[in-house]
Amino acid sequence: MLTNRRKDAWIAAVLVAPFLAIYLLVFVWPTVQMFGISFTDAPLIGDGDFVGVDNYARLDSDPRFKTAAWNTAYFVLLTVVPGTCVALLIALGVSRLKGRLQAAILALFFLPYILPVSVVYLIWDWVLNFQFGISMHVLDWLGIDRVPITKSREWFMPAMAVVTIWWTAGFSILLFLAGLRSIPPEIYEAAALDNAGRWTTFRRITWPLLWPITSLVFTIQLISQLKIFDQVYLFSQGGRPNDNMVLVYYVFQRAFQQNQGGRAAAVAVTLFVLVVVVSVLQFQLLRLSGNRK
Amino acid sequence: MTVHGMLKAAVIATIGFAGVARAEETVVWWDFLGGGDGVRMKKLIEDFNAAHAGAIKIDATTLEWGTPFYAKVQTSAAVGEAPDVMTYHASRIPLAVEQGVLQELTAEDFAAMGLGQADFAPATWDAVTIEGKQYAVPLDTHPIVLYYNKDLLSAAGMLDDNGLPKGMDSREGFTATLQALKDNGVTFPLGSVTADGNFMFRTIYSLVGQQGGELMTDGEFLAGDNGDKLANALGVLADWTKAGLQSTYTDYPATVALFTSGEAAMMINGVWEVPTMTDLNAQGKLFNWGAVELPVIFDMPSTYADSHAFALPLNQGKDMTPEKRAAVLEVIGWIEKNSLLWATAGHIPAYGPVTDSAEYKAMEPNATYSSLTANMIFDPKTPLAGVAGPIFDVMSTYFVPTLNGEMDPAEAVTAIKEELNAL
Repeated sequence: MLTNRRKDAWIAAVLVAPFLAIYLLVFVWPTVQMFGISFTDAPLIGDGDFVGVDNYARLDSDPRFKTAAWNTAYFVLLTVVPGTCVALLIALGVSRLKGRLQAAILALFFLPYILPVSVVYLIWDWVLNFQFGISMHVLDWLGIDRVPITKSREWFMPAMAVVTIWWTAGFSILLFLAGLRSIPPEIYEAAALDNAGRWTTFRRITWPLLWPITSLVFTIQLISQLKIFDQVYLFSQGGRPNDNMVLVYYVFQRAFQQNQGGRAAAVAVTLFVLVVVVSVLQFQLLRLSGNRK
Repeated sequence: MTVHGMLKAAVIATIGFAGVARAEETVVWWDFLGGGDGVRMKKLIEDFNAAHAGAIKIDATTLEWGTPFYAKVQTSAAVGEAPDVMTYHASRIPLAVEQGVLQELTAEDFAAMGLGQADFAPATWDAVTIEGKQYAVPLDTHPIVLYYNKDLLSAAGMLDDNGLPKGMDSREGFTATLQALKDNGVTFPLGSVTADGNFMFRTIYSLVGQQGGELMTDGEFLAGDNGDKLANALGVLADWTKAGLQSTYTDYPATVALFTSGEAAMMINGVWEVPTMTDLNAQGKLFNWGAVELPVIFDMPSTYADSHAFALPLNQGKDMTPEKRAAVLEVIGWIEKNSLLWATAGHIPAYGPVTDSAEYKAMEPNATYSSLTANMIFDPKTPLAGVAGPIFDVMSTYFVPTLNGEMDPAEAVTAIKEELNAL
């Protein structure tokens, strides 16, 4: 078929233009500005003087930044792999069910995902609250001392990890289910004819064929968990905010509580670079290990 | 009538209505008063609107207290979308002035409101003053007080002849009162907000004040022996925890619930919980209760207070018309002069003539605790201070472990000092 290339390009440009304009305006431009602000001593609103790399140099000896970086890394460790595994296990279970039952069970697992974070916070506060939480009554009943879960350094991040996995697993489960459904049943039939056991079937068929989805879930999780903020902020209110500090919280604290836009931007840029580097690295790594199979 | 005609009529009608509405000045109002006091403020606003029908109308919105409120004010003022008048904590004014979000209030403004410096207590007036200029009109002071359950204290023999708690004049005396309650079977003699260091700042700062200590001296935090005074204050509370005399890891709502359910015999909390108690008591759902000035644990009485004040945002690129400004000043002046109703929310009105009135002096428990006005201390004047500010966060992080017996007070003070001076 004959096509007019120039006309095609023109149509493409028109179709892409609205998105591109909005993207440039509300994403690229602010990001560029953020880089600029990070080299100034600007307050939250308004301009500041150029201070070179001072804002970055200070991070090195900033105890709150260190706490934030460490906690963020710890949280990623506690959620990304465990969260992916939990979602995969649940998806494998749900995929064995049929019809309405499957829909009902899937809905149960997906339900937390549609809740806003404030509701998630309230639900879990009712469970974990030291004086009135349901879980504390269970501990009393078992004769174990009550644990101030959201107020102690040791328990805070693990508790946030559990809450986050409970809250967000639904979406990963959906992705895994879609992946499982796209594996042709003939392969399983053939494997069954060859007397392959359950474990062998999983290891030799399900796992490799599901790999693209697994690495996708992994990457999505990694990026979103690096940006952890809401849960930590809500559960830290009045508690031990500076012990529970994570990177985005630190940006918020510098910008909105201390009116230091420049220093906040420096932390934000650091996080931005970190997310880009880690996710590119991880995706490449997963792709390579996927190819090897 | 043709379609065209109908359209024309509609346009004329719309313009007509708009014309009528313009004669009435609408004052956009933001506050963060979501509790029992918010209900009383809504009543005051209604009364104001009724008294000024056709002239001024307040269009009020209540927003989330704390950082969300102040972040919204700052961002909206920057783009000219802030309200005409808003409530503000006096402790947050230094930061607000640095951010440039507040209009200065001149002597003429105060004259227009019918108010003057003489109408306010010196400490309260000073709290809204930065470098000799006023940036807000104080509506009240809201200190913390000691709430007590008269039934439980009486059962333990800890009420004096005037119905006030015993042992209010020394650390030993008050500890003995707590111990007596404990021995009499009370689960938590003192309900303390031990899970919320932000809140406990008020109590601990009061105890520092009772030793004549300061948080900030010439720009330096906890200079000289002020660190030791903070450690002493923390030590008292940590000892009560060790002796099982106060509730541990208890957050704000839980503390109030422990007190109102009778599990905690006493509670140190803001006067803003007075309406909660009054209302429950009126419904027959609460024991006999009272509220008094904090016990003197150290050398002298001292109570931390903050002040709710009215401030005018500085809207960028949008000048307030003289008519609008006059209306806003009328609003503030009127509410100040009618703040007797505000006193039923527990707060101590800042406007002197109201607290001097016979009606106020007959109001209980306000009259009992209003003696503390003479012993109030406010936040240090720094942009880092104020509710939901950075000082609160630093303190909170170390108060929570210290108050619950996880950390030594001296260790906490060293860390606090380091972090505060690094802010």
